[in-house]
Amino acid sequence: MKAAILDGIILGLGFGLLGVGMTLVYGLGGILNLAYGEFAVLAAIIVAQAISGGIPTAVAAVLGILAAATAGVLLDLTLMRPVYRQSGGYRVLLGLMLTLGLAFVIEGVLTWRDPLGGLTISISGKPIPFLGVPLAVGSVWAAVIALAVGLALLGFFAATTFGRGIRSVIQDELGAQLVGISPSLVRTVIFGLSGALAGLVAVTQSMTSPLTVSGGFNLTVYALIVSVVGGLGSVAGAFLAGVLLGIVDDVSAYYIGSYISDIVLLGAAALTILIRPRGLIGIDQR
Amino acid sequence: MTSGRVSLRPGSVLPAARGRAFLPILAAAAILLVVPQIWFANSEYTTSLAVQALVFAGYAVGFNLIFGSTNQLFLCVGALAGIGAYATGILSNHASLPIWVGIVAGTIVAAAVGGVLSWVAVRRSLGVIFTGVLTLAFSFAFQDLLFGQQHLTGGSTGQPLTAAAVSLADNQIGGYYLFAAVVIGFLIVFRLLQMSHFGWAFRALRDDEVAAELAGVNVARYRIYAAVIGSAMIGLTGAFYAYSEGFISPPTFAFDQVDVTVLVLVAFGGLGSLLGPLLGAVVFAFVDNALVNSGQLREVIYGAIVVVIFLGFRRGVPHTLGAMAGRFAAQDNGGGRWTLPNIRRRER
Repeated sequence: MKAAILDGIILGLGFGLLGVGMTLVYGLGGILNLAYGEFAVLAAIIVAQAISGGIPTAVAAVLGILAAATAGVLLDLTLMRPVYRQSGGYRVLLGLMLTLGLAFVIEGVLTWRDPLGGLTISISGKPIPFLGVPLAVGSVWAAVIALAVGLALLGFFAATTFGRGIRSVIQDELGAQLVGISPSLVRTVIFGLSGALAGLVAVTQSMTSPLTVSGGFNLTVYALIVSVVGGLGSVAGAFLAGVLLGIVDDVSAYYIGSYISDIVLLGAAALTILIRPRGLIGIDQR
Repeated sequence: MTSGRVSLRPGSVLPAARGRAFLPILAAAAILLVVPQIWFANSEYTTSLAVQALVFAGYAVGFNLIFGSTNQLFLCVGALAGIGAYATGILSNHASLPIWVGIVAGTIVAAAVGGVLSWVAVRRSLGVIFTGVLTLAFSFAFQDLLFGQQHLTGGSTGQPLTAAAVSLADNQIGGYYLFAAVVIGFLIVFRLLQMSHFGWAFRALRDDEVAAELAGVNVARYRIYAAVIGSAMIGLTGAFYAYSEGFISPPTFAFDQVDVTVLVLVAFGGLGSLLGPLLGAVVFAFVDNALVNSGQLREVIYGAIVVVIFLGFRRGVPHTLGAMAGRFAAQDNGGGRWTLPNIRRRER
């Protein structure tokens, strides 16, 4: 039981990291980036190719994250421009469809160039005992990175001027514009940050289990669920939701079995949406 | 039709316009009837493509009713179709009931599930995205259930229907006409709804939900009606698919196989339009077939098409082409909407 909860927390921190990039982009312009998971896969393939080309793992990881961040910025500067000219429900739909199309394009190109591609970063070492439970080194690393990035993001949004500027755009775009913050600059930065987070997810995920070319869509769906449960636009909410869902998933897998645990996870997500449509933490954006 | 009394219910159509409203459906039915005779009746391959297109047209009409008419983003078309198909399979295989019992039961269960999902979404006043995520979660849970409940569903290996119609699978032209009839039936239902007080309410709540509510439209109730009827259509199509194909497996009803395609082809044909789903399904079948040898590039091209459709053809390709033709004609008269940009430029 204790092991299941600890595993759940580790899994959940990964979920949280995954959800953050999605939730930030949504908070800014009402766009759900369905190509998000493909950004992670793009990073994973680049890291894998760099490693097989003889580049040290850490450098390769940075390369991959930069590539995904660039993809995010490019997406904002090109496809997202017409989306922001729309408003309301049509903006949401247009954003969904354009990023869905982009997801197909990225996945198609990646499977075409590198059909068997995938990324596994194995970190050797003895399991680290924590509260009497031995934990695999890779998952400890992944959890520590996720936690550190989460805290850094929270600090960034709470304490720096630019971070506060971003939050002000999330809360009230017009008001932010009136006090001299450029929403379009903030959006570009956030898309880049979101891409970088997707790249980071690729790196941390591959420390525990291989990330393959076809895994992008699943990542997108989990990011979507985590960000909605946590409250769209909320960093802390995404991590809280991720950890809670991770614990639910692992504990139910421990007690009932693995295929039911997926259903329990999805059910828990649906239930949260129904009981608190605004998410665990987050402003009412219905 | 022969009652003679002109009803003046809100949204009802004058009797004179009633006949004309069905002309497009009649034309579509005539084309669907004739095309196999003059083209592909002898080619089993083309026939199976046509059947596939009609199955997707059936799903798309249901989805169009739910999303296009009442703005509820149901991302569980595959799951609803799967409910219809698996109810048919399980009832005829495990409970040895006649196949039509399974089809009827599957349709009813799909309608009920769609109604409950809609009821929940309406009660909690979920917006487009939240309805989408809720139904998406349902889709994935349903897939897990299909894989998990192996003794009932056959798991990932799938399940043959012992009572399947041999005649439909062997002689596929029968399957073609079955689904053609189904789709035409759906279109008639869709048109009848559009002409009744339903259509009036759908148009009102699509334009402005709050204004519709203030004008006395029970938005919640009409949404649930649309979801029940649309889900029944999807479930029935899924059940007939199981019946004619004789074999069902989870990937046939997976999100990326069904929902994505349906969304794209409805968007192509024009959300909320009558013939849009059918047109989209036919065009999609052609495109899909043309790309069949492109391997992985097929997905790339497919994605690019989605992007182009949504960037350039907001209200569906046929509508935009029609509007372009209309503008071309208006330009000759020196009037119409063509002059609007000039006015705006002068203001600056």
